[in-house]
Amino acid sequence: MLGDIGTLVLQGTMISAVYALIAIGFTMIFGVGGTLNLAHGALIMGGAYVFALLSRSVHAAVAFPVTIAVIALLSWGLYQVLVRWVEENVVITFLATVVVAIASTEFVLYQFGGSPIGMTLISGAVNLEPYGINARTRYVQFVGFVVSWLAIGLLWYYITHTDDGRSVLAASMSERGAQLTGVDLHAVRSKTWLIAGALAGTAGVILGSTGGATPLMWLNPLALAFIIVVIGGIGSIKGSVIAAYVIGFLEQFTVTFVGHGFRGILSLVVLVVFLLYMPQGLYGREFAHD
Amino acid sequence: MISTILLLGTVLATVTGRLGDAAGTVRQQLLLPIGQALDRLLAPIDRGLEPAANAYNRSLGRYFGTMSGLQFALIVGSVVALLTAGVWAPMVGPLVGGGLLRTLALASIWAIFAMSWDIQSGYTGYISFGHSVLSGAAGYTTALLIVHVDPGLSIWVTASVSVLAALVVGLLVALPTLRLEGPYFSLITFVAVLLFYRLTTAFSSLGGIPGFGQPDVFTWDPVMRYYYMAIPMLLIALGLTFMARSNLGMILVAIRENESAVSAAGINPTKFKIWSFALSSIPMGIGGVLLVGFTGNVDPDTFVIVDNSIEMIAMAVIGGMSSILGPLGGAFLFEFLNHQLFHGYSTPVRYLFLWGLVLLVLVFARDGLFRMIWHRLGAVGGESE
Repeated sequence: MLGDIGTLVLQGTMISAVYALIAIGFTMIFGVGGTLNLAHGALIMGGAYVFALLSRSVHAAVAFPVTIAVIALLSWGLYQVLVRWVEENVVITFLATVVVAIASTEFVLYQFGGSPIGMTLISGAVNLEPYGINARTRYVQFVGFVVSWLAIGLLWYYITHTDDGRSVLAASMSERGAQLTGVDLHAVRSKTWLIAGALAGTAGVILGSTGGATPLMWLNPLALAFIIVVIGGIGSIKGSVIAAYVIGFLEQFTVTFVGHGFRGILSLVVLVVFLLYMPQGLYGREFAHD
Repeated sequence: MISTILLLGTVLATVTGRLGDAAGTVRQQLLLPIGQALDRLLAPIDRGLEPAANAYNRSLGRYFGTMSGLQFALIVGSVVALLTAGVWAPMVGPLVGGGLLRTLALASIWAIFAMSWDIQSGYTGYISFGHSVLSGAAGYTTALLIVHVDPGLSIWVTASVSVLAALVVGLLVALPTLRLEGPYFSLITFVAVLLFYRLTTAFSSLGGIPGFGQPDVFTWDPVMRYYYMAIPMLLIALGLTFMARSNLGMILVAIRENESAVSAAGINPTKFKIWSFALSSIPMGIGGVLLVGFTGNVDPDTFVIVDNSIEMIAMAVIGGMSSILGPLGGAFLFEFLNHQLFHGYSTPVRYLFLWGLVLLVLVFARDGLFRMIWHRLGAVGGESE
């Protein structure tokens, strides 16, 4: 029992860190552009596949940053080529990004086939049996945890301590207000997509290293991002991080004590409760309508 | 880094701007004259057909919308073509890859899905990513009844219980979520599909991945099978068009355009959103039952997966959202391209083409192809619709 709790805490902490990475990019794009980017999961999948390809020829330490850069550019390209032309219509943006996501599955199936592709960012695992925790935690999970907090820290610094970052924050609070103070909205949105892409790429590499890359791996992260963002409050980065930990622990709890098949169900119950009684989420605010 | 990217963006923007100019020139020099020539060619035909259309407009126009001569001809022609497909499709089929009747039957089922999606999502603007849950509920109910209750149950019993199940599941999804405004509804429906999929694969009593093979197909005769699918489809199209053209449809569109205005007019939008979802669940259930009768197998891959929900959306988008008949045409076009024209390619390539097409329609022709054709035909006579 005590061992179970130890496992729960450890695994929950690791998983939640990755969930936070997944959700932040999603919430940022929603906060700034009012766009729900349903292709966010596809970018995560892209991260896994690009890393799998690169790590065949170069060392993982090189492939990791290159992957992040590639996915950031892909995300930026998605915005420039497709989303910016339709973003004024929420419904069309919705549909366009989800079609991109589905098409990416077909592309991956066509290019790599349906079987999972294994990859490792860093191999090996640490055995915690002597300490009473019955799980072999892999080094990748530790790396994921560290990278996640590194990314969150950098993002926090960028958003709160640089002019560039503060303009992103301003645009997410009130578009008109930001424009009146001389913020170039288009540039801010482009930057947001770039950052969200980098975060998605990072998450993709870590998810791929723990579970392998498959053509449908974008679905679950996307659903998780939804749930986390609603609970945390749409557009709030702090809320997303906290909600990621809530959901991560909740899922780990169900897996440990209830059973694997019920993994998402408890999260969904929490989601519905939040939607009914607290639709603004933990740290959400009313949008400043102009 | 950022500045180079921004520079690239500027370059890209200018290039696309130029492209826009070029498109404008093409429109001026090429498309406009063609359109005018077509107008001149078609206008006499339109006038010739006017009396028939007017007779219809006077009698039924109130219920299903008025049409010009050409539009009337298009509708009558399509209905006749669909009703006589059992005769001409086996002859035309070999020219387009064979198996045309099967494709048409499948397209009929998908047309039901696309139209049902449209009356809810297209009209109210509350996009559902989870409509496959509704058809899935119907399909699984049929299978469970046959497996666990009595294999000899008549189709009338299983079908009506299944449609009821779809309605119940629809209300379960709609009641808590449709009170909310904005994107939450879409998110919930999306998560609902994933959850339903997980349930079907996690519990062996729900058949797991292989699903249930026990339900029988309606018939093996391709001609009969086609009519089993096409006639309910036409009836549903009729019913939904009637609903969409009534006051109900007007309120649904008003919800999409300005929900607070609807509230301000003393109409409860939530009530009507739930109505539209219920209205959409019933044909979804019928479609689910037909799909069981078509495949004879109920499994997550044919019934539940998210791709199914997105596919019906794609059909509706290609045809033109919020027009009922647009999604019908979209479904036939989609399935025809998928199973006949792109017949020789592997599945991923076919779908890549199709999703590409959907994206093009979304960006360049938001109203959809069939709605575009429809309005063009309506404008031939000189008056724009």
